[in-house]
Amino acid sequence: MRKKVLILLLLSVTILAFRSSDKPFSDYPSYFPKPVYDFSKNPLSPEKILLGRVLFYDPLLSRNNMISCASCHSQFSAFTHIDHALSHGIEDKIGFRNSPALMNLAWQKLFMRDGAVNHLDVQALAPISNPVEMDENIAHVVDKLKRSPIYPKLFSAAFGDSVITGERTLKAISQFMLTLISANAKYDSVMRKEAVFTAQENSGYLLFKKNCTACHKEPLFTNDEFMNNGLPVDTSLNDFGRYRVTKNPSDSLKFKVPSLRNIEFSYPYMHDGRFKRIAEVLNHYTNGVNKSATLAPELAQPIVLTTNEKIDLTAFLLTLTDKSFLFNPNFFYPKEIFLSTAKD
Amino acid sequence: MLLFVVPVFTVAQVNAIKFKVLPYYSPYQNTISDTSFELKSKGDYKIDVLRFYISNIRFFNKDLLVYQEQNSFHLCDAAIPNSNRFLMRQSEKIVYDKLQFDIGIDSITNVSGALGGALDPTNGMYWTWQSGYINFKLEGRSTSCNTRNNEFQFHIGGYAAPFSSLQTLSFNTTNQRDIVLVIDVNQLLNSMDISKQSHIMSPGKEAVDFSKIIARSFRCIPQ
Repeated sequence: MRKKVLILLLLSVTILAFRSSDKPFSDYPSYFPKPVYDFSKNPLSPEKILLGRVLFYDPLLSRNNMISCASCHSQFSAFTHIDHALSHGIEDKIGFRNSPALMNLAWQKLFMRDGAVNHLDVQALAPISNPVEMDENIAHVVDKLKRSPIYPKLFSAAFGDSVITGERTLKAISQFMLTLISANAKYDSVMRKEAVFTAQENSGYLLFKKNCTACHKEPLFTNDEFMNNGLPVDTSLNDFGRYRVTKNPSDSLKFKVPSLRNIEFSYPYMHDGRFKRIAEVLNHYTNGVNKSATLAPELAQPIVLTTNEKIDLTAFLLTLTDKSFLFNPNFFYPKEIFLSTAKD
Repeated sequence: MLLFVVPVFTVAQVNAIKFKVLPYYSPYQNTISDTSFELKSKGDYKIDVLRFYISNIRFFNKDLLVYQEQNSFHLCDAAIPNSNRFLMRQSEKIVYDKLQFDIGIDSITNVSGALGGALDPTNGMYWTWQSGYINFKLEGRSTSCNTRNNEFQFHIGGYAAPFSSLQTLSFNTTNQRDIVLVIDVNQLLNSMDISKQSHIMSPGKEAVDFSKIIARSFRCIPQ
């Protein structure tokens, strides 16, 4: 009898596990590569994703309960911080870099502009602890979550009991971030043969494939590597990128190649947000590349583009805008959860 | 009926191996919480934080691996009573002539995302600005340090080549059931010039050098 109960229990657990691990992450196109993230270590479930979403929008994660992840990563800008070259955090303190857009994170090996973070699960620790971002620490965040009126319930729903740990908190945040998939731009419709490029977009696509694709590799529009793209050093920052992490001189001035998806809405551009417009970025690649020992070999010869070609290329880049991502209600501020506490 | 509730020593308990890790400080400081200790003469020091990981415990007999503890991560914190004691239960009595373990966290674990228990980042042994565990933390004050409040602070970690600070320790010891390890903090601090180097906070050559000093400061005391 007991054995039967046990088997039944195991079975239902398995079914639950299946139901939860398979559903939320099946929504990426067949032409995407296999994700890097190991989902077997953190199987997705709707409850965990919801918990992660609430955490993402909760300023409780900061020392003064004022700054949330969303403060520097707003959905309408592909989860980056527009209007500021260098993002600002707690008490309007100015950061060291431009916050990156967040999307298609399951396909990324290393995080941050310099790759200082080696796994999505531990990424959130960096902004939580940074004195000019959230200036908090994960142990204290866990204490605050335990005392909160909403989180014990959310953790119970997600993990089966209300125990709140650093591991669970971080894994839940990862779950939400993993669902931030942008794969429904016009470019994707064309790839799926549901739409066609205009003549101008097509001309831009050909120019893109000729000049840009070595680093901004399709379909993710990044090769997920660190490259020196020839930006002159801003001596007010002296940011040498990946060198800071590896201390290897051959990594000097290398930064993570960002995806170009949603580039229309994720300005300003570059690790220090020095360019406000796509035109400035293109002008950098045609006229502004600064030669140094670690310059990407792809940029050793200047990229040549006429004014008209730049316009065509820009038209193509705008086909990477994914409105269904930028306005996906599954990523919105979870007001139903936060408002329920306001009533209490 | 009472018979059933009498505690019976199980085989596992009989074969258990008990670990105890003891810090040895200067003769003048008995415990880490000894706040009354004043720095007076030259070279005096006071330890405020001493925490480190002992991991991947394994036993060998004639150079053959005979037992390896699973999920073997122990965070020893001199400020938390009993964190320096742990028990390995196994069903069979192991015969061994060599004990081996690591000080710190291996590289695979370092790239495995958020982990729990002794490895939970809330334990304060995880770097945030750059991923990776802190293998060993030693903080305190010394008259030798010309720093603010005479403080020294060593957070030793780093898992990636060429700056891995993971240290493997081996001790020839035979079939002990009670293993006592001593970390000689006194020897550790005397092995370096803390007036010249009073803090290390990131992976690098300095951390690797320090980790070698840590390794030399451990002893296994025969019972």
